[in-house]
Amino acid sequence: MPRISLKIVGASGQGINSIGAIVAKGLKRSGYCVFGYREYPSLIKGGHASYQLDVSNERICSTETKVNVLVALNHHGLELNMEDLKQGGIVLHVTPGWQFPEHHRKLIAERSLRIIYFPVDDLLKRLGARAILSNVLLTAFVWSMLDQDIDALKSLVGQTFAKKKALIELNMRCIDEGYSFIDPEQGAISVAMPPPDKGFIGDLLITGSQAMGLGAVHAGVRLYAGYPMTPSSHLLSFIAELENKTHMVVKQAEDEITAAQIVSGAMYMGTRALTATSGVGFDLMSETLSLNAMIENPTVFVLAQRPGPATGLPTWTAQGSLLQAANCSAGEFTRCVISVSNSQDAFELMPVAFNLAEQYQISVIVLTDKQIAEALYTQHPYDLQRAEIDRGRLVVDPEKLKLLKPSDRFNPHALGGVSLRWLPRTEAATYCAQADEHNSMGAVDESSLSTKSQMEKRLRKFHGLKAGLPAPHVSIGGRRVETSDWIDAADEFELLAIGWGSTGDTFRDVMCSDQMRERKVAYLHYTYLWPLRTQELQNLAKRSKRIVLLEQNYQGQLGMLIRMECGLDIADKILKYDGRPFFYDELLSLVMERCASISENEEKSSGVEFVGNPS
Amino acid sequence: MNIAPKTQSPALSHYYSETKCTWCDGCGNYGIWTAVKYALVELKLHPWQVCLCYDVGCHGNGSDKLEGYRFHGLHGRVIPFAAGAKLANIKVPVIAFAGDGATFSEGVGHFVHGVRSNYPITFVLHNNTNYGLTTGQASSLTPQGQPMNTSPNGIPEHTLPSMDLIFSLNPTFVARGFSGDIKLMTRILKAAIQHRGFAFVEMLQACPTYNHFATHEYLLDRYFDANADGHDPSNLQQARALATQVHDRIACGILYQREDIPHFYDRLIPRRGLETTCVEEVRRYDVSDYWKELL
Repeated sequence: MPRISLKIVGASGQGINSIGAIVAKGLKRSGYCVFGYREYPSLIKGGHASYQLDVSNERICSTETKVNVLVALNHHGLELNMEDLKQGGIVLHVTPGWQFPEHHRKLIAERSLRIIYFPVDDLLKRLGARAILSNVLLTAFVWSMLDQDIDALKSLVGQTFAKKKALIELNMRCIDEGYSFIDPEQGAISVAMPPPDKGFIGDLLITGSQAMGLGAVHAGVRLYAGYPMTPSSHLLSFIAELENKTHMVVKQAEDEITAAQIVSGAMYMGTRALTATSGVGFDLMSETLSLNAMIENPTVFVLAQRPGPATGLPTWTAQGSLLQAANCSAGEFTRCVISVSNSQDAFELMPVAFNLAEQYQISVIVLTDKQIAEALYTQHPYDLQRAEIDRGRLVVDPEKLKLLKPSDRFNPHALGGVSLRWLPRTEAATYCAQADEHNSMGAVDESSLSTKSQMEKRLRKFHGLKAGLPAPHVSIGGRRVETSDWIDAADEFELLAIGWGSTGDTFRDVMCSDQMRERKVAYLHYTYLWPLRTQELQNLAKRSKRIVLLEQNYQGQLGMLIRMECGLDIADKILKYDGRPFFYDELLSLVMERCASISENEEKSSGVEFVGNPS
Repeated sequence: MNIAPKTQSPALSHYYSETKCTWCDGCGNYGIWTAVKYALVELKLHPWQVCLCYDVGCHGNGSDKLEGYRFHGLHGRVIPFAAGAKLANIKVPVIAFAGDGATFSEGVGHFVHGVRSNYPITFVLHNNTNYGLTTGQASSLTPQGQPMNTSPNGIPEHTLPSMDLIFSLNPTFVARGFSGDIKLMTRILKAAIQHRGFAFVEMLQACPTYNHFATHEYLLDRYFDANADGHDPSNLQQARALATQVHDRIACGILYQREDIPHFYDRLIPRRGLETTCVEEVRRYDVSDYWKELL
């Protein structure tokens, strides 16, 4: 798969994102698949930030550590990012008279880097333009380096300023000026781009948060309450920006407890409502999780992960909240934990989460992370006919409502533990959604018999839920196959990798690489994390020479759940906990190391160990 | 509030519950519980038409002692739950009940923002001036120096001036009742349920087991119906003075009321002109219009 990468670096607030966004949109409209990745510190102005675009004419959904083009908007980029360049890479900078230190001069020679000084201040002066237009000048020059059509850029910028005629003219002159700039020392420079694929032109450029927001609206969410906390805030702001079109109720609550309670009250009343938070914000919501378990109130919580403990790294990524999601809160109860992996299922899993919540009258926690929430995906428009709205055992028929008894609401003998549910203001027998232990109609009941039967009712849901959840996805040699196929096949795998969340897309790109395309590697990707299905994993494990766990946390939390559920102890783990996602080239080399060591140690055992089962 | 009376009026018996009362002899909750039922019946509200939300405490043990769609939740959290329920279905009268412990300690943030947000709900404060259900600890409304369970020397903190706090938040409805006067409480509750925005109703109540300083007799001697004395609830200055000056006589009744202030939901621009509620709007939505800018 051909890959071209472009990284724009500078201070937060300098316009890194606007250059990145416009180049990304222009390339997508020209028929390229773009994957955007942002790194930035937790402050508003200053600091060192970056926006990287990885571009291909095939589906691409990961970031490389090494880039073809570095655009440095200040000299810090020249100090900090020179190592990021590939052999033959291009450095575009705007710092007049910059003298590279000795070790960088050596690097420039070794890697045959080409350095272009772009005299942005001179150009601005000549055009009589203000500093804010320097980004347009730079974008136009980058556009010419990428050999892209100038009119495409003009139409894109023209749309942005459609209502400001005076601005358009100056912008167009900046584009002409920037596009035609030729560095006197380097001459005309261009980056070799693969031929475009028109298939991408109609795609969306969308962040995971936007995808999740659209998915929530699609799923019938009519009320959103949230408290700002990165990386969940983008979902709140996206939903809020749409409120005049969707007519939803949007509430910025005074804290996470409030947001969780508002959403719970709204779900109890019978609408679909959503909240999202991160790490310690979810700690505050966890008492409400316990409440909803007791009153059997369907609810959906988005938990957008960032590195902890505490405030941690607010603007960086992690997968450290899996055990928090699966285990937090008082008492024993049935819950469901699922994780989105990219912009596709960030959208598709929202109706799924609400359906599961209503089918089982439980809380569903949807994990995402900063990487998914803020990465820019090239996304095929979503299928809007596929999702169903399934409200479970909700009674709405007036004839059936008349027959209800208060004791139907929490009937401990209900099939699968899921009793009938009906909504306030429906003309029927009434009940109490009771957070104290209660009997079948919600009256407080501390008797041994009732306590036991209600506990069993609520926990019985776990079995139905677990049996009904889809199997983890398995990909083999870069191809996704239906789960039934590989069970029948007699293949033995060199390597079985297991991961979840944003790891999946990076691993998918690794499997599509020239180095890995032909290898017998299987990747098992978990979307449904709790309850955890392990039968497919156990089957695959028996047929794999080596197993490796891929997670963006310190402990290997999915590995811990796997061991807890089926005894499989995965000793080999690739774990990352520095706030950065898995990068394509980094993961590729880690996986290749393992494949190479298998070839060397063909005779050795598979490395699969079942705890307490030495055979 | 949006009340659609049925042709057949509800009777008090429709609110009867099989669950036995378990409050102490002489507890103020009996009176408040009775007045709530009277108010709902007199407003011609059937049990299936109302949503009653209870916090945790002795009052909350009343959640299963009447009919209605009820909720009994976590300590301090009843206001946001009730607000969420109301915002989801604006047509349902929602009443939230909480004690002084929950309201002015664990849930004081929710209370402040509840008044400030002017949610269209009724909030009934069961004020027995202590934590009854956890066996008589001081609340932030217990007089400083009063010996209580876990504070044998009295609490070092000064007493929270609750009515000063409320009036600082620009409330739209403030009333005070006394658990010994069912008629007064019923009148107040009916007005509160019909109030446009956040209706704050304080019910002074006896706690015969743990409150030995503001007893039923103490309250009986001091309370009076300020409206009967000619108090005009639109007079903010007078209302605040009556609400806060409680040493000799305790003014009850509707102390302050404004119906010209839009409530939270009225202020939601996206909801203007909509006849439906969020509950009625749950369906699959076509979102392709919203992604046009992402193409």
